[in-house]
Amino acid sequence: MKFLCIPCDEQMATQVDGIMPEEKNNLVLKFKCKKCGHMIAMLTNKFETEFVSKLGVEAGGPSDMAKTPFGMMGSTLAEGKEELKKAGPDEGDFEWTQEAKDRIQRVPFFVRGMAKKTVLNFAKERGIKVIDGALMDEVREKVGM
Amino acid sequence: MKTYEDLPSDGGSNIMDQVIDQREQLRRRLDQIKHKVCLMSGKGGVGKSSLTANMAACLVLRGHKVGILDADLNGPSIGKLLGVSNQEKLEITPEGVEPGQGSMGIKIMSMDMLLPSADSPVIWTEGKDATAVWVSTMESTALQELLKDTIWGELDYLLIDMPPGSDRIDNIRDLIPELDGVVEITIPSPISQHIVSKSITKNSQLGVSIIGLVENMATYVCPHCNQEGQLFEGEDVEKLSKDKQIPLLGRIPFDTRMSRQTGTGKLFIEEYGDSVTGQAIAQVVDNILKFIQNKSN
Repeated sequence: MKFLCIPCDEQMATQVDGIMPEEKNNLVLKFKCKKCGHMIAMLTNKFETEFVSKLGVEAGGPSDMAKTPFGMMGSTLAEGKEELKKAGPDEGDFEWTQEAKDRIQRVPFFVRGMAKKTVLNFAKERGIKVIDGALMDEVREKVGM
Repeated sequence: MKTYEDLPSDGGSNIMDQVIDQREQLRRRLDQIKHKVCLMSGKGGVGKSSLTANMAACLVLRGHKVGILDADLNGPSIGKLLGVSNQEKLEITPEGVEPGQGSMGIKIMSMDMLLPSADSPVIWTEGKDATAVWVSTMESTALQELLKDTIWGELDYLLIDMPPGSDRIDNIRDLIPELDGVVEITIPSPISQHIVSKSITKNSQLGVSIIGLVENMATYVCPHCNQEGQLFEGEDVEKLSKDKQIPLLGRIPFDTRMSRQTGTGKLFIEEYGDSVTGQAIAQVVDNILKFIQNKSN
């Protein structure tokens, strides 16, 4: 699927930051025209999302999760061994509370990398080290998705 | 206005490149494995996993390097059968995940090795809202990761222990198009043969090569006098084999010592390879090897 900005006749690019999808099976993707900056959002319901997810790929390009062995299982199994969960990408100095971990895990895996990036960038800009439910609510409110 | 073909990519996700990259990783892993064989049955409870483990042991005794992929994601038992405790630490490196080292050096990968305790079920984070389609999607991706990210190394044979039913074969033939074939396992009960016949028909229609049919629990062997007796009042498996035009690879008598070995990590073949049942399993393995050799020629 490709998106075209009609006034500019230019391809719109997927935005890999600044999205916070619903913690269900709904997909949110933002596209921006590089020329005029106009943005649109593609929203899908959970059935449409399932079709996309069948490919086992990540929207916005592969995140570090895709490069981690058993990356999808490590981030999607509700009960998995600790070493499986820890094998995920290094998140630097940030600490995620259990609530925040649970909430980010409810984001469909193929947009989870983008959602994580949004939360981490939001926290970084504000000098916040602990990511909790309240911060995620704030991200949702500010980002508007 | 530009058309679809005029736009160079999909706008940044590079979906096609991701799919190709995954396939290439999988290919690199599978290219190190000479032969891949699925053991399946439309019916549950016919002894697939136990037979898979013991057939793997027979292959090791014939000098082959063997691995088992436990494709039964929700009812994994290969780890327990081959003595790989789910408490063993999972070794994850950037190159992949080390398989478990089972009895007789058989490499295994099973969902059980990923779960924190013996009674942990496989539940995806989508939880109770997950639809059947969603769960099926997760399982397909999980199967791909188990194959692609496990450091199998060089193997002569990878046996794939399939879950009951015949739906998973769609994934397997997509992931392993060079699959040598499937071994269909049944027991003498009419219900089992009824369901296995559907599995055989499906595989034939999909163009999946069928190595042959195995009748497990064909008879009962008395552990005291080694005499065989009938265990089920069943239909003639030879008729099923003839009707479906697939070879009957062998009939395996039930031996109570096989079930006693379950969970000890020691395989029946290791201790009772000379028994009637042990020899019947070995015969099935030899027939499979003959099939693969003929196919290679």
